[in-house]
Amino acid sequence: MEKIREKYAIVGVGESNRSKNSGVTPLELALEAARVAIADAGLEAKDIDGFMSYSEMDSCSPHQVATYLGVRPKVVKEMFGGGSSTELLIAEAIGLIETGQVNTVLIYRSMNGRSGVRMGGGGFSIDALQNGFDGGSFIIPYGAGSPGQWFGLFATRHMHLNGLTQEHLGHVCTSFYEHAQRNPKAFFYGKPLTMEEYMKTAHLSSPFTKHDYCLESDEANAIIVTSTERAKDCKSVPVKILGMAAREVVSHAHYWKNIDEVAADYVAPQLYKAAGVSPEDIKVASIYDCFSWVVLRQLEAYGLAPKGEVGDFVSAGNLRMDGKLPTNTAGGMLSEGYTHGMNNVLEIVRQVRREYEGTDRQVEDTELAICTGWTGPDVAGAMILCK
Amino acid sequence: MNEETKVIYEKPIPLKNTYNAPYWDAADRHELNVQKCNTCGIYNHPPGPSCANCGSIEVTWENLGSNITGEVYTYIVSHRPFLPGFQNDLPTVIAVVHLEDYPDIKIIANVLNGNAETVSIGTKVKMVWVEATEERSIPQWVFA
Ligand SMILES: [Zn+2]
Repeated sequence: MEKIREKYAIVGVGESNRSKNSGVTPLELALEAARVAIADAGLEAKDIDGFMSYSEMDSCSPHQVATYLGVRPKVVKEMFGGGSSTELLIAEAIGLIETGQVNTVLIYRSMNGRSGVRMGGGGFSIDALQNGFDGGSFIIPYGAGSPGQWFGLFATRHMHLNGLTQEHLGHVCTSFYEHAQRNPKAFFYGKPLTMEEYMKTAHLSSPFTKHDYCLESDEANAIIVTSTERAKDCKSVPVKILGMAAREVVSHAHYWKNIDEVAADYVAPQLYKAAGVSPEDIKVASIYDCFSWVVLRQLEAYGLAPKGEVGDFVSAGNLRMDGKLPTNTAGGMLSEGYTHGMNNVLEIVRQVRREYEGTDRQVEDTELAICTGWTGPDVAGAMILCK
Repeated sequence: MNEETKVIYEKPIPLKNTYNAPYWDAADRHELNVQKCNTCGIYNHPPGPSCANCGSIEVTWENLGSNITGEVYTYIVSHRPFLPGFQNDLPTVIAVVHLEDYPDIKIIANVLNGNAETVSIGTKVKMVWVEATEERSIPQWVFA
């Protein structure tokens, strides 16, 4: 991926209304987000010749979205996937543009994640869970049916070995909730969280309280990717992709076989090699936050905080606006909204563009930004962005 | 069991398939049967069509008997039932246990008599089998 350094850019971002009950189909949400992103880029719908999306059987097809924008694109692509799918689709879009198959690609994630199919459970039959996961018969009969429980097994051991405490998880939550107070569009805008309140909250499934879980929302997000050359025709400030590792995997298909490693450990060296920068150069971040602990684990994996000192790093307030690495500055999936990570991509693009200049939401140093995606301990992807 | 004490098992019962049947068949007999790779020598658990370590198709099964002990490698305590049947059994301890005599084998099960105060990493446990139906039994952990 070194070859594509700064050759491609995100030129448009957009989101639909965010709510607990959209009252419309995922298709309408996707169209809304797409129109906003296209307008943001200063393009017309017909300029988009590739449409891509990821979903977990809870969305609408890119062919539909193109059709109802009145576009007849060259390429449509949809994939089954959650976190880190944005990075993977960006890489695919770059591949298609690089080989001359398309010019400009719109990628979206649309879901009625609250009123429709909820990730938190209830959406799948028990037999489907057992058969769907490789090795499912070894976990489902024991009540381990949700990501909070699977990731919790990793978290308990990792926290035990690295001196991480409940309060450290609390620092991730309270920092992100604090960011959400500057974002009127965040789900938990007007609902700050104090450490005292956090520490009084009971576990749903240890070590996670309800605050450590991402929220569930109805919304769509969209981004537009094109070449830096073509970006000159757009009205937006292009945010260039300095490097990416679209996806890497751990050494074993089963979540709990090797509980001491995660895919992000494999992504990090590829990412920094592709971008030609070091972790200490990065001053602003969007870190996939389906659970608070996932942020701590990625800070370590990506070298953003030294292993064994991640707890001190977050306790010192480094995820906050005046910290060393303001992170998830729109509130993240813990307190802004949930689209399997794409809302975090939108925010980092806006930070790098300096769209919040003159307000208390603008991070001071945005020269180099990191954006990470996490499907789970097994699969991850990430990118480094610059102006 | 007579009618009054008969408890209906509401939790999910392991579904047998081509790869896991020898494990669950042995569980029904209150034994632990684990897949092993004859090429690289690792225990291949959970089992599959070939070795997940080296890709060899030379996998066989080794019966480890009924006297199984281990140590909690990691665990969680769940206070909300995410699957049917667990609403009657809260909090539920879900533990990854590495076997004392075969430390590279890790097996997930509940620590039946455990809770947040009594289970920690390193807790010693032993395997028991819970009869879910007349035909089916499920390995579980209790304190050793
Ligand atoms: Zn082998």
